[in-house]
Amino acid sequence: MGMMVALLEAGKFTLQAIPNVEVVTLLFIVFTASFGLKTILVSFAFTGLETIWWGINTWNVMYLYIWPLLIVYVYLTRKHASVWFYSISSCIFGLFFGALCSIPYFFIGGPHMMFTWWIAGIPYDILHGISNFAVCLVLYKPLMYACGHIRKLTREQTR
Amino acid sequence: MKKSTKVIIGVVIAAVLVCALALTYKFFGPSAQAGSKAYTLEVVDADGKTTSYEGTTDAEYLKEVMDELTENDEFTYEGTDSDYGIMINTINGVTADYNVDGAYWAIYVNGEYGQYGADTQPVADGDAFQFVYETAQ
Repeated sequence: MGMMVALLEAGKFTLQAIPNVEVVTLLFIVFTASFGLKTILVSFAFTGLETIWWGINTWNVMYLYIWPLLIVYVYLTRKHASVWFYSISSCIFGLFFGALCSIPYFFIGGPHMMFTWWIAGIPYDILHGISNFAVCLVLYKPLMYACGHIRKLTREQTR
Repeated sequence: MKKSTKVIIGVVIAAVLVCALALTYKFFGPSAQAGSKAYTLEVVDADGKTTSYEGTTDAEYLKEVMDELTENDEFTYEGTDSDYGIMINTINGVTADYNVDGAYWAIYVNGEYGQYGADTQPVADGDAFQFVYETAQ
Protein backbone atom coordinates (compact mmCIF):
# COMPACT_ATOMS: atom_id res chain seq x y z
CA MET A 1 0.00 0.00 0.00
CA GLY A 2 2.88 2.32 0.85
CA MET A 3 4.46 1.59 -2.52
CA MET A 4 1.21 2.42 -4.31
CA VAL A 5 0.90 5.79 -2.53
CA ALA A 6 4.57 6.50 -3.23
CA LEU A 7 4.09 5.74 -6.94
CA LEU A 8 0.99 7.96 -7.09
CA GLU A 9 2.84 10.85 -5.44
CA ALA A 10 5.93 10.38 -7.62
CA GLY A 11 3.80 10.20 -10.78
CA LYS A 12 1.80 13.29 -9.83
CA PHE A 13 4.93 15.25 -8.87
CA THR A 14 6.77 14.31 -12.07
CA LEU A 15 4.00 15.48 -14.39
CA GLN A 16 2.63 18.43 -12.42
CA ALA A 17 4.42 20.92 -14.70
CA ILE A 18 2.35 19.70 -17.66
CA PRO A 19 -1.25 20.89 -17.26
CA ASN A 20 -3.87 18.15 -17.17
CA VAL A 21 -1.47 15.39 -18.11
CA GLU A 22 -1.35 12.90 -15.26
CA VAL A 23 -0.80 9.23 -14.46
CA VAL A 24 -2.86 9.15 -11.25
CA THR A 25 -5.99 7.98 -13.10
CA LEU A 26 -4.06 5.22 -14.86
CA LEU A 27 -2.32 4.12 -11.65
CA PHE A 28 -5.67 3.84 -9.83
CA ILE A 29 -7.03 1.80 -12.77
CA VAL A 30 -4.01 -0.54 -12.75
CA PHE A 31 -3.95 -0.88 -8.94
CA THR A 32 -7.67 -1.67 -8.82
CA ALA A 33 -7.45 -4.15 -11.71
CA SER A 34 -4.52 -5.84 -9.94
CA PHE A 35 -5.30 -5.56 -6.23
CA GLY A 36 -9.05 -4.91 -6.04
CA LEU A 37 -11.17 -2.66 -3.85
CA LYS A 38 -8.49 -2.16 -1.18
CA THR A 39 -7.19 0.52 -3.58
CA ILE A 40 -9.88 2.78 -2.07
CA LEU A 41 -7.77 2.89 1.12
CA VAL A 42 -4.79 3.88 -1.05
CA SER A 43 -6.86 6.73 -2.51
CA PHE A 44 -7.66 8.02 1.00
CA ALA A 45 -3.98 7.82 1.96
CA PHE A 46 -3.09 9.69 -1.25
CA THR A 47 -5.68 12.40 -0.50
CA GLY A 48 -4.36 12.65 3.07
CA LEU A 49 -0.78 13.13 1.87
CA GLU A 50 -1.86 15.69 -0.73
CA THR A 51 -3.75 17.57 1.99
CA ILE A 52 -0.68 17.63 4.24
CA TRP A 53 1.42 18.93 1.35
CA TRP A 54 -0.96 21.46 -0.24
CA GLY A 55 -3.33 22.31 2.63
CA ILE A 56 -7.09 22.07 2.99
CA ASN A 57 -9.19 23.33 0.09
CA THR A 58 -12.28 22.43 -1.90
CA TRP A 59 -10.38 19.88 -3.99
CA ASN A 60 -9.75 17.75 -0.88
CA VAL A 61 -13.50 17.04 -0.78
CA MET A 62 -13.46 16.26 -4.52
CA TYR A 63 -10.59 13.79 -4.11
CA LEU A 64 -12.51 12.00 -1.35
CA TYR A 65 -15.22 10.86 -3.78
CA ILE A 66 -13.73 11.17 -7.27
CA TRP A 67 -10.95 8.56 -6.87
CA PRO A 68 -13.13 6.03 -4.98
CA LEU A 69 -15.74 6.47 -7.75
CA LEU A 70 -13.13 5.57 -10.38
CA ILE A 71 -11.92 2.62 -8.30
CA VAL A 72 -15.46 1.22 -7.85
CA TYR A 73 -16.07 1.65 -11.62
CA VAL A 74 -12.87 -0.25 -12.48
CA TYR A 75 -13.70 -2.96 -9.95
CA LEU A 76 -17.20 -3.44 -11.34
CA THR A 77 -15.97 -3.54 -14.95
CA ARG A 78 -12.84 -5.64 -14.33
CA LYS A 79 -14.26 -8.49 -16.46
CA HIS A 80 -13.99 -6.20 -19.50
CA ALA A 81 -10.41 -5.21 -18.63
CA SER A 82 -8.36 -4.39 -21.71
CA VAL A 83 -6.08 -1.60 -22.82
CA TRP A 84 -8.75 -0.16 -25.13
CA PHE A 85 -11.57 -0.42 -22.61
CA TYR A 86 -9.64 1.47 -19.96
CA SER A 87 -8.12 3.94 -22.43
CA ILE A 88 -11.62 4.96 -23.54
CA SER A 89 -12.91 4.88 -19.93
CA SER A 90 -10.05 7.05 -18.66
CA CYS A 91 -10.64 9.45 -21.57
CA ILE A 92 -14.33 9.85 -20.60
CA PHE A 93 -13.32 10.14 -16.93
CA GLY A 94 -10.96 13.01 -17.88
CA LEU A 95 -13.61 14.71 -20.00
CA PHE A 96 -16.05 14.75 -17.08
CA PHE A 97 -13.48 15.29 -14.33
CA GLY A 98 -14.49 18.96 -14.06
CA ALA A 99 -18.19 18.11 -14.02
CA LEU A 100 -17.63 15.62 -11.19
CA CYS A 101 -15.40 18.08 -9.33
CA SER A 102 -18.01 20.84 -9.62
CA ILE A 103 -20.46 19.04 -7.30
CA PRO A 104 -19.20 20.69 -4.06
CA TYR A 105 -19.85 24.11 -5.65
CA PHE A 106 -23.55 23.23 -5.82
CA PHE A 107 -23.55 23.26 -2.01
CA ILE A 108 -21.24 26.29 -1.75
CA GLY A 109 -22.87 28.66 -4.24
CA GLY A 110 -25.80 26.86 -5.84
CA PRO A 111 -26.36 25.51 -9.37
CA HIS A 112 -25.15 28.70 -11.10
CA MET A 113 -21.76 28.57 -9.41
CA MET A 114 -21.48 24.84 -10.10
CA PHE A 115 -22.32 25.35 -13.78
CA THR A 116 -19.98 28.31 -14.38
CA TRP A 117 -17.14 26.55 -12.53
CA TRP A 118 -17.58 23.47 -14.75
CA ILE A 119 -17.85 25.53 -17.97
CA ALA A 120 -14.68 27.52 -17.16
CA GLY A 121 -12.68 24.30 -16.96
CA ILE A 122 -13.97 22.58 -20.11
CA PRO A 123 -10.86 23.33 -22.26
CA TYR A 124 -8.73 21.68 -19.56
CA ASP A 125 -11.15 18.74 -19.29
CA ILE A 126 -10.81 18.13 -23.03
CA LEU A 127 -7.02 18.15 -22.72
CA HIS A 128 -7.31 15.90 -19.66
CA GLY A 129 -9.49 13.38 -21.54
CA ILE A 130 -7.22 13.22 -24.58
CA SER A 131 -4.05 12.91 -22.48
CA ASN A 132 -5.63 10.22 -20.27
CA PHE A 133 -6.44 8.23 -23.42
CA ALA A 134 -2.87 8.48 -24.73
CA VAL A 135 -1.22 7.77 -21.36
CA CYS A 136 -3.42 4.70 -20.76
CA LEU A 137 -2.91 3.40 -24.29
CA VAL A 138 0.87 3.53 -23.89
CA LEU A 139 1.40 2.59 -20.23
CA TYR A 140 -1.50 0.28 -19.28
CA LYS A 141 0.10 -2.96 -20.46
CA PRO A 142 3.60 -2.37 -19.02
CA LEU A 143 2.13 -1.31 -15.67
CA MET A 144 -0.26 -4.29 -15.58
CA TYR A 145 2.70 -6.56 -16.32
CA ALA A 146 4.73 -4.96 -13.51
CA CYS A 147 1.82 -5.26 -11.03
CA GLY A 148 1.27 -8.88 -12.05
CA HIS A 149 4.95 -9.58 -11.42
CA ILE A 150 4.78 -7.93 -7.97
CA ARG A 151 1.68 -9.98 -7.07
CA LYS A 152 3.48 -13.16 -8.09
CA LEU A 153 6.57 -12.26 -6.03
CA THR A 154 4.44 -11.35 -3.01
CA ARG A 155 2.62 -14.71 -3.20
CA GLU A 156 5.92 -16.60 -3.39
CA GLN A 157 7.33 -14.71 -0.40
CA THR A 158 4.26 -15.38 1.77
CA ARG A 159 4.30 -19.13 1.07
CA MET B 1 -19.95 -8.06 -31.77
CA LYS B 2 -16.29 -8.11 -32.82
CA LYS B 3 -13.76 -6.60 -30.41
CA SER B 4 -12.51 -4.20 -33.07
CA THR B 5 -16.08 -2.93 -33.66
CA LYS B 6 -16.50 -2.30 -29.91
CA VAL B 7 -13.21 -0.36 -29.84
CA ILE B 8 -14.29 1.78 -32.82
CA ILE B 9 -17.68 2.50 -31.17
CA GLY B 10 -15.90 3.45 -27.93
CA VAL B 11 -13.48 5.80 -29.68
CA VAL B 12 -16.33 7.39 -31.65
CA ILE B 13 -18.34 7.95 -28.43
CA ALA B 14 -15.29 9.60 -26.83
CA ALA B 15 -14.77 11.82 -29.92
CA VAL B 16 -18.46 12.83 -29.90
CA LEU B 17 -18.19 13.74 -26.21
CA VAL B 18 -15.12 15.91 -26.96
CA CYS B 19 -17.10 17.76 -29.66
CA ALA B 20 -20.14 18.13 -27.36
CA LEU B 21 -17.98 19.62 -24.61
CA ALA B 22 -16.27 21.99 -27.06
CA LEU B 23 -19.68 23.19 -28.28
CA THR B 24 -20.92 23.60 -24.68
CA TYR B 25 -17.89 25.80 -23.96
CA LYS B 26 -18.45 27.80 -27.15
CA PHE B 27 -22.07 28.59 -26.26
CA PHE B 28 -21.83 28.95 -22.48
CA GLY B 29 -18.18 29.96 -22.01
CA PRO B 30 -16.87 33.49 -21.51
CA SER B 31 -17.69 35.93 -24.30
CA ALA B 32 -16.22 39.38 -24.61
CA GLN B 33 -18.35 42.51 -25.08
CA ALA B 34 -17.18 45.17 -27.55
CA GLY B 35 -17.52 48.93 -27.02
CA SER B 36 -17.16 51.27 -24.07
CA LYS B 37 -17.89 49.82 -20.62
CA ALA B 38 -17.83 51.28 -17.13
CA TYR B 39 -16.00 49.33 -14.44
CA THR B 40 -14.69 49.53 -10.92
CA LEU B 41 -11.62 47.70 -9.68
CA GLU B 42 -10.61 47.31 -6.04
CA VAL B 43 -7.38 45.94 -4.62
CA VAL B 44 -7.59 44.60 -1.07
CA ASP B 45 -4.06 43.93 0.15
CA ALA B 46 -2.67 41.71 2.91
CA ASP B 47 -3.49 44.32 5.60
CA GLY B 48 -7.06 44.73 4.36
CA LYS B 49 -6.30 48.16 2.89
CA THR B 50 -8.51 48.85 -0.12
CA THR B 51 -7.45 50.88 -3.16
CA SER B 52 -10.20 51.66 -5.67
CA TYR B 53 -10.11 52.53 -9.34
CA GLU B 54 -12.93 53.26 -11.72
CA GLY B 55 -13.29 54.26 -15.31
CA THR B 56 -14.50 53.31 -18.74
CA THR B 57 -12.73 51.03 -21.13
CA ASP B 58 -12.97 49.41 -24.52
CA ALA B 59 -11.01 46.46 -23.17
CA GLU B 60 -12.61 43.07 -23.64
CA TYR B 61 -10.73 41.25 -20.90
CA LEU B 62 -9.70 42.17 -17.37
CA LYS B 63 -5.97 41.97 -18.11
CA GLU B 64 -6.37 44.72 -20.73
CA VAL B 65 -8.04 46.93 -18.08
CA MET B 66 -5.09 46.24 -15.77
CA ASP B 67 -2.66 47.14 -18.56
CA GLU B 68 -4.54 50.42 -19.14
CA LEU B 69 -4.29 51.28 -15.44
CA THR B 70 -0.54 50.59 -15.40
CA GLU B 71 -0.07 53.09 -18.26
CA ASN B 72 -1.29 55.85 -15.94
CA ASP B 73 1.04 54.72 -13.13
CA GLU B 74 -1.98 54.24 -10.90
CA PHE B 75 -1.63 50.55 -10.58
CA THR B 76 1.15 47.98 -10.93
CA TYR B 77 1.10 44.25 -11.28
CA GLU B 78 3.40 41.37 -12.10
CA GLY B 79 2.45 37.92 -13.22
CA THR B 80 3.79 34.82 -14.82
CA ASP B 81 2.35 33.27 -17.94
CA SER B 82 1.40 29.64 -17.68
CA ASP B 83 -0.61 27.16 -19.68
CA TYR B 84 -3.57 28.13 -17.50
CA GLY B 85 -3.16 31.82 -18.41
CA ILE B 86 -1.56 34.59 -16.41
CA MET B 87 -0.91 33.97 -12.73
CA ILE B 88 -0.92 37.27 -10.82
CA ASN B 89 1.90 37.32 -8.26
CA THR B 90 2.25 40.97 -7.27
CA ILE B 91 -0.21 43.88 -7.21
CA ASN B 92 0.83 47.39 -6.20
CA GLY B 93 4.08 45.98 -4.82
CA VAL B 94 2.40 43.33 -2.62
CA THR B 95 3.53 39.82 -3.53
CA ALA B 96 1.44 36.75 -2.78
CA ASP B 97 3.63 33.64 -2.72
CA TYR B 98 1.65 30.42 -2.38
CA ASN B 99 4.82 28.42 -1.75
CA VAL B 100 5.69 30.51 1.30
CA ASP B 101 2.40 30.87 3.17
CA GLY B 102 -0.35 29.72 0.80
CA ALA B 103 -1.08 33.30 -0.27
CA TYR B 104 -2.61 34.18 -3.64
CA TRP B 105 -4.44 37.03 -5.33
CA ALA B 106 -8.09 36.02 -5.68
CA ILE B 107 -10.25 37.64 -8.35
CA TYR B 108 -13.86 38.52 -7.50
CA VAL B 109 -16.34 39.60 -10.16
CA ASN B 110 -19.45 41.44 -8.98
CA GLY B 111 -18.95 40.00 -5.51
CA GLU B 112 -18.58 36.41 -6.64
CA TYR B 113 -15.38 34.38 -6.75
CA GLY B 114 -14.06 34.61 -10.31
CA GLN B 115 -14.01 31.49 -12.44
CA TYR B 116 -11.49 32.76 -14.99
CA GLY B 117 -7.98 34.14 -15.03
CA ALA B 118 -7.36 37.84 -15.67
CA ASP B 119 -6.66 37.23 -19.36
CA THR B 120 -9.87 35.26 -19.97
CA GLN B 121 -12.22 37.17 -17.63
CA PRO B 122 -14.54 39.19 -19.91
CA VAL B 123 -15.41 42.79 -19.05
CA ALA B 124 -19.10 43.76 -19.18
CA ASP B 125 -20.61 47.20 -18.62
CA GLY B 126 -20.87 47.98 -14.89
CA ASP B 127 -18.62 45.13 -13.76
CA ALA B 128 -17.02 45.41 -10.32
CA PHE B 129 -13.72 43.57 -10.05
CA GLN B 130 -11.73 42.92 -6.91
CA PHE B 131 -8.26 41.58 -6.33
CA VAL B 132 -8.13 40.25 -2.80
CA TYR B 133 -5.00 38.96 -1.05
CA GLU B 134 -6.04 35.62 0.44
CA THR B 135 -4.31 32.67 2.05
CA ALA B 136 -5.24 29.00 1.78
CA GLN B 137 -6.29 27.33 5.05
